[in-house]
Amino acid sequence: MSDEPSTSTGVLMEEEAMQLIAFLVSASELCIKEPTYYGAFRLIDAASRLMGFMLQHNPSRTSEFLQRFKEEVDTKKVWMMFDRQAYFDFLQSAPAQVAAEVKRLADEDLASQKETPA
Amino acid sequence: MSAGMQADQFFEVLKSRRVVRSYTDEPVSDDDLWKLAQAGRWSANGGNMHPHRFLITRDATQIRLMRTFAPGMLVTPPAVVVLLTDREVAARLKWNLDASYIHWVDTGTAAQNMMNMAHALGLGTCPVTSYSKSGVSAILGLPPHLIPELLLMVGHPKPVSRELRADAPKPITTRDLTYWEAPGQHDPT
Repeated sequence: MSDEPSTSTGVLMEEEAMQLIAFLVSASELCIKEPTYYGAFRLIDAASRLMGFMLQHNPSRTSEFLQRFKEEVDTKKVWMMFDRQAYFDFLQSAPAQVAAEVKRLADEDLASQKETPA
Repeated sequence: MSAGMQADQFFEVLKSRRVVRSYTDEPVSDDDLWKLAQAGRWSANGGNMHPHRFLITRDATQIRLMRTFAPGMLVTPPAVVVLLTDREVAARLKWNLDASYIHWVDTGTAAQNMMNMAHALGLGTCPVTSYSKSGVSAILGLPPHLIPELLLMVGHPKPVSRELRADAPKPITTRDLTYWEAPGQHDPT
């Protein structure tokens, strides 16, 4: 059992997780022979697919962020094909957006722990 | 249409075709898919040997599962044409596919004909080569002699904005790609 706060609900079905595994395993095979750029593309696309699965379950704490961020990822990931510099700029800025959301969740968890009587 | 007739109109079809990665839910009709198969059948091919087969699917579950093994399928389309090489046909023709690339050229010519035909019909297509052959073969239940060479996503296009920056790189031109008489000579002498 994890010691982490259990405020989140399930956001991924078994079949969806298997589909994501299939994608990652296939992408891994492709990385052996495809252009180097494609590797980063597969990772950001995997993130998009994961967000898509999660959004189908209306995650209570992250829906708003996931909706917005997935839309941005799906718009900008294809820049790889016609504006590589803009695509690279996006990849470099994207983690900060996720970090802000991760930190927001952590802060919420901390606040709720403080409110819970010992 | 004979050679020279309606050339401008034909060129406009070729020039305006784009790879389409966003589709509506509208199903693709039997008739339209049959026209794509016909366009593939009439493509240029090495030695008129036709080692290819076209597997057309609109099975939503099959397409969804195929996509999990096909990272190049960025969306789930309403239809997919799988261009296959039939190794049994090649064997009957005494054709060693392992020492040849003609069947890949044939795959390309068939796919291009299908994409142009689809565009003329108002459909959108996207060729996909990024997929696990073993994974896709397993999902489709292909026997070992049928090799999936290319997946062609097909559907009714949903308009999307590319939102390009003003200073985005300019598209490559025909002149960039063309040499006259000698490499590096971009203009006719």
